[in-house]
Amino acid sequence: MRTAIKSVFTALAISGAGAAQAFSVFACEPEWGALVEALHPSAQVFSATTHLQDPHHIEARPSLIARLRRADLAVCTGASLEVGWLPMLQARSGNAKVQDGQPGMFYAAQFVKLIGQYEGVVTPFSGDVHPEGNPHFHTDPRRLLQVAAALRDRLIQLNPAEASSISEQYASFSKAVSERIPVWEAKANRLKGKSVLTQHATFGYLWEWLGIKSVGDLEPKPGMPPTPGHLERLRAQMSQSAAQAIIIAQHHDKRPAQWLVQQQATGKTPLVILPATVPEVSSTALLTWLDGLVVTLTQEIK
Amino acid sequence: MHKGMVYLAPLVAMALPAVAGAHESDKWEIGVVLDAAHTSKKLELGARGKDLELGHSDLVIRGPLGSAFTAEYSLAAHTDEGKLEHHTENLWIQTRTLPAGLQAKLGRFSSQIGYLNEQHPHADDFAERPLLYRGFLGGHWYDDGLRLNWTAPTPFYLRFGVEAFSGKQLIKHPETKKSPGAQTFSMKTGGDFDASNSWQFGLSYLNNRRQAEAHHHDEEEEEHDHAHGAEFSGKHMWMTDLVYKWAPNGDSKNQQVRLIWEHARVGGIHPESGSLRHSGTSLAAVYRFHPSWEVGARTDWLKVNKPEFHEDDDDYEFASGRLRENALMIAYKPNHMQTYRLQFVRQKGSGANEEGELVFGAPVRNSVQFQVVIGFGAHGAHSY
Repeated sequence: MRTAIKSVFTALAISGAGAAQAFSVFACEPEWGALVEALHPSAQVFSATTHLQDPHHIEARPSLIARLRRADLAVCTGASLEVGWLPMLQARSGNAKVQDGQPGMFYAAQFVKLIGQYEGVVTPFSGDVHPEGNPHFHTDPRRLLQVAAALRDRLIQLNPAEASSISEQYASFSKAVSERIPVWEAKANRLKGKSVLTQHATFGYLWEWLGIKSVGDLEPKPGMPPTPGHLERLRAQMSQSAAQAIIIAQHHDKRPAQWLVQQQATGKTPLVILPATVPEVSSTALLTWLDGLVVTLTQEIK
Repeated sequence: MHKGMVYLAPLVAMALPAVAGAHESDKWEIGVVLDAAHTSKKLELGARGKDLELGHSDLVIRGPLGSAFTAEYSLAAHTDEGKLEHHTENLWIQTRTLPAGLQAKLGRFSSQIGYLNEQHPHADDFAERPLLYRGFLGGHWYDDGLRLNWTAPTPFYLRFGVEAFSGKQLIKHPETKKSPGAQTFSMKTGGDFDASNSWQFGLSYLNNRRQAEAHHHDEEEEEHDHAHGAEFSGKHMWMTDLVYKWAPNGDSKNQQVRLIWEHARVGGIHPESGSLRHSGTSLAAVYRFHPSWEVGARTDWLKVNKPEFHEDDDDYEFASGRLRENALMIAYKPNHMQTYRLQFVRQKGSGANEEGELVFGAPVRNSVQFQVVIGFGAHGAHSY
């Protein structure tokens, strides 16, 4: 009897410890969820958003508060990308671990150099500008590697017992990405100097990396949806010198870009719709997604 | 406050974030929201005066105090018949690092009862708050007090909270003064049905220990209280709220539907009132059909029993009154710093006291309101 009770208690203790050990990660965007999967596969990863959502505009839903309440680590972009919803989740979660300044709150933007800082004075009519710079840096694999190194250190700090496993995972991820970068660059070499018309600065870092020129934005001001007047100006601009492609993200409204394509001489300017981030949260998702971006661009841009 | 400060504040707010420019949200920020509206006819229980008035505008300063606390100060201002009035609406510190999902707040802040009360009025979907807020909570109820919340580590959202307040902002002229003047207990829960559909349900109770003076029927109208203080009150108030939101794949930027239902029931109106109650219900639907455009409809019911004291026969009378309000609005929001809203409101009132005086004296047949909300500088995150 006594041994039976003892074994029950042992089982409970083990299962309790097991539950406590599952390191829970709240990723604001799926790219960071995929990065955690790659560096620390035993973590339980939840992504607050998907590639079909605009990460600027997320409701601070009750389900997200509940997820953040139980997280050991939150991995977010920062640079004000989540300013409209993350602070509310942090405040409502009552979770001390994921407050700003704690090791459990990781902002990727702190570890990379941003482009596209807004220099002017921000007024209510400037649009949704980010004085810190463009926060969509995950489309540049070189910056992705910088974030991965910092995230490795943070994961080790929070899981010292698994330091060697995390270091190994990082080494293999870093090697895989570093090996692919020259391959992607070679493949996309002929895209250098090509001009594209885009919507928002979603792929700004991708253009910078591959040497593609963004010659216009469907948004009249950052974050402001395309207006008829602005589209008409772009149409006039395109008739002077056509861009090689119009490129929007999957979460953008297709209609304005479709209208602009229809105004062009047929077959001349393709509309390319790219996923702004990984469509699934898995350890290989980032490589597959970046591969897909490069392949699609080389196929679509003549 | 000088009028000049109102104009100066947005400039200060615009300059400061550029100076801060840090990566995280862990920094002090300052923001100003100006809310102005033109109202063709003042609504019964309405907060906005006729013609052009400054509505609930504020200057907010918020930031961390060390790693353990967040603090906020806000100064709210509005005009009343052209005269600028202002008050400190928020001055609080809140804990960030208590263990086990606990959180405490101390100072002056908005109570978390109901759905809308804790939200900034400038984020509302309609130019005026629902009738039950205007009737029972003075539009929105902030007060001096203490809050303790616990968020449960459950797979769905579950939060319990208690608050103790002075109650001075709720009942301005009480017959009995007690401390604390008001206590609240509340619960919120919610989750997702799937990627596109989410919900939240709340239940709250307000124990008001400051009994309001009955309306002295034979006296002249006393000094009028604008905007704040409850018009109709009682010892107990129960509130339930239910919110449902839909957005395709959770992407609310281009398309969204929001349904909001709130109900309030007030008992213990007066020691002489027996089982008489006040009650109020609000049902609102808003549809964002374009990234910059929203339409919405709201219908409100209010049922009250107004205590009146008659000095001639030294007796209390409870005049039963009803007010209905229907509102339609269309809003243009080119970005999150600007809202332009056109709203049509129709009211209908009924009920009078023994002398035949109406409980709701001036319900409007039709009123048109045009509202502009403009934000400068930092803009806090919005709740669900």
